[in-house]
Amino acid sequence: MAAAQSMPSALDFELVARCSTTKARAAILTLPHGPVQLPLFMPVATQASLKGLTPEQLEGTGCRLCLNNTYHLGLKPGQEALEAVGGAHKLQGWKHNILTDSGGFQMVSLLKLANITEEGVRFLSPHDGTPMLLTPEHSIALQNTIGSDIIMQLDDVLVTTSPDTKRMREAMERSVRWLDRCIAAHKNPTTQNLFCIIQGGLDLEMREECCREMVARDTPGIAIGGLSGGEAKADYCRVVSTCTGLLPELKPRYVMGIGYPEDLVVSVALGADMFDCVWPTRTARFGDAITKHGVLKLRNASYRNDFGPVEEGCGCICCRQGKGSLGVTRAFVHHLAAKETVGAHLLTIHNVWYQLALMRSVRESIIEDRFPAFLKQFFADLHGGDKAKYPDWAVEALRTVGVDLMM
Amino acid sequence: MATALENLEEPSGLFFDIYGSFDPNSVTPRLGRLRVKGRQELETPNFFAISSRGVVPHLTPDVISASTTIGGVHMALEDWPSPLHTFTALPRSLITVLAPRRTPAVSAPKGNSNTAISVFTSTGFQVLSNKSYISYIAKLRPDIAIPLADVPHGSDPGTKRVAKMGDRTQEWVTELLNSKNDEQAVFAPILPIDSLSQYEYLNQLADELTDGISGLAFYDSNLLPDMPATTSLSRLPRLSLDEPSSPRQILRQVSLGMDIFTIPFIGFATEASIALTFRFPRPVLDDPLVSDGVGGSVLPLGINMSSKTHTASLKPLSTACTCYTCTAHHRAFVQHLLSADEMLSWTLLQIHNSHVVSEFFTSIRESVRRGTFDVDCDEFVRAYESELPEKSEQGPRVRGYHSKSEGPGESKKNKAAWGNLGKFEHGISGLVPDEPAGTLENKGFAKKADI
Repeated sequence: MAAAQSMPSALDFELVARCSTTKARAAILTLPHGPVQLPLFMPVATQASLKGLTPEQLEGTGCRLCLNNTYHLGLKPGQEALEAVGGAHKLQGWKHNILTDSGGFQMVSLLKLANITEEGVRFLSPHDGTPMLLTPEHSIALQNTIGSDIIMQLDDVLVTTSPDTKRMREAMERSVRWLDRCIAAHKNPTTQNLFCIIQGGLDLEMREECCREMVARDTPGIAIGGLSGGEAKADYCRVVSTCTGLLPELKPRYVMGIGYPEDLVVSVALGADMFDCVWPTRTARFGDAITKHGVLKLRNASYRNDFGPVEEGCGCICCRQGKGSLGVTRAFVHHLAAKETVGAHLLTIHNVWYQLALMRSVRESIIEDRFPAFLKQFFADLHGGDKAKYPDWAVEALRTVGVDLMM
Repeated sequence: MATALENLEEPSGLFFDIYGSFDPNSVTPRLGRLRVKGRQELETPNFFAISSRGVVPHLTPDVISASTTIGGVHMALEDWPSPLHTFTALPRSLITVLAPRRTPAVSAPKGNSNTAISVFTSTGFQVLSNKSYISYIAKLRPDIAIPLADVPHGSDPGTKRVAKMGDRTQEWVTELLNSKNDEQAVFAPILPIDSLSQYEYLNQLADELTDGISGLAFYDSNLLPDMPATTSLSRLPRLSLDEPSSPRQILRQVSLGMDIFTIPFIGFATEASIALTFRFPRPVLDDPLVSDGVGGSVLPLGINMSSKTHTASLKPLSTACTCYTCTAHHRAFVQHLLSADEMLSWTLLQIHNSHVVSEFFTSIRESVRRGTFDVDCDEFVRAYESELPEKSEQGPRVRGYHSKSEGPGESKKNKAAWGNLGKFEHGISGLVPDEPAGTLENKGFAKKADI
């Protein structure tokens, strides 16, 4: 494997606080389009739009860093148009930060249709059958054109549950080699931050090896990839904890594809800082509202005459009381859900707000060093105080970092 | 601004002033001001946005406040599955109008009876009796209620039906007026049949019923010149439910003295990916539409934003437009969103199209005030095409209550979201391309291969 190297960075990572019990941290990550507070959830604006929200509405939820998908932007509007327009910020009128994935995750979902070789990934677009080749160089060139503040290396992604250890090792080692190609191809290291992606499936030794190799490449940030693909939650937690234990303290750690509230708080306890997931916005379009007491399926007829806010005490424009409130009720969302786009927009605003507000309160509790108490309250709220309902994996994982939810 | 000659205050909390000289016997455009307690004043001629299920399609209430100048909203009772929904979260400044049916309404398979009409809710056709409609009005308390009317949406009524229409409507209106509370403003429906056929009803409106009504709602604007020329009727605000299909038709109705409009073509244009681009009475001087090669000497009323020609265009949707979409975004983004099937495309188009129509009415009012309305209309007719461009794109998913099946053998209204994997137009058999990497690489990412 290639020798260790050092690379420039376009970010500043300031560690603000450390939880005295768990591995949780609070930090300020300053990116080219402004600072963001870690830990952080990043909503996914797949095709340069957060599912019907205007950039101002997204800004109103408190979001300062959202995702775009390289794979999708490469298809539409395409690199040429992106170049002509002047990048993704300009395309979508977004003044804040953008993170783009590499297109690699789409491989997990397209694996049956893709053929991965040392050169890259070749596949037919499921969209229109277009033959495509995605190489590390392609991916980085596209992300350079997109102009995102954080760009991701192309990695060889394999579902973590794959029993093929040999293939898993090949994927991990190839991801390291592709990282070197990505670093070499990256044209804007002083304005765009390249993150490496730790691979290695559920094999902790392979993960450790990958961490050592990739940390040596000194990318501005580090992602833990290949997860959220159907593995057992306990396995997931072991991988995250193993990796964070080996990563440098003064770099942001991003676990890809995580978004359920309980996954977020546990992952923060295990030392991760950044997360993304389409679930909050996707579930909004199905009429599901995320609240601290769990997900409300507002399409259910029981909400037809429920004139309360979507979530009592929530600060989003739908739920908040007083100034700036829209006074949206559960009954109104029920009335609109899956019938008018406005119903999806309103719940999307609420759900994104919920996720960001959750991470804000996580952060506050870390800074005030009461994160363990926060975790206990969080699970109590989510399960109505019934400890029998607490998921075993969360209880186990939190025990490993010194928090016993059952106590 | 001209002084209001007529300022007859009514007990209902709804006031309409007509500016300038006012002659009940003449058919002319007129300027007015509609005031509803607690709402923002509406200068007329103007329009009310059409809502679906209580929302202006694609616009959340905060976007309506921030990015439109919509003055009022038309709602249909058939969109409410249960009573007591004063909860549409619409900005408080907006005037609400409640009518029994959507506009345009889907024609019902069953006719109306002497006591009820057929409506098409999201759960199917239902019967709406006048009695229950009256109780809904009492519960929903819209700023303006339009009584039940016997209108045969979609089919031409026969002689026998025409005879019934006036009688039924008169009875239904009378029932509502007798039972409503004093605060409730009511716009009496004018039926889409000739004035002789509803002669008795119209005379009732001008005579016995006149105190109870605050305005007129026209299902056919051609009835305007035939209305009884009494001051009590002429002073009332006139709402058009006549579904104008083009700006020209709006101008014609304004010339007949129409005050407020509901305009289905705003939403049609939005969902057909069309950005409206017309201005009254003439385009801005440097409008590049002609030089774009879009039209010859006659300009289109809108441009199709899904066209690939906009892919890299940083221009606003229409020249010198000051709406949110045109100031914060550009054609390339709207084109991208349309091509990517993103919902924001319709939001941005709806904001823009509502703005264009708002500006259209602002210019109409200025023109009437200047006394140049007739020549301005002539100039507009010369400058622009008569109808909107043809719809080319598949818009948002069509729901049952949006449009009705026309009969057997009809093609599907919504495109299937997914096709069979592996069956592609250009007949590739394998799922993974097997050309050498160099060949694919030369084609670039996501470039179609010539096979």
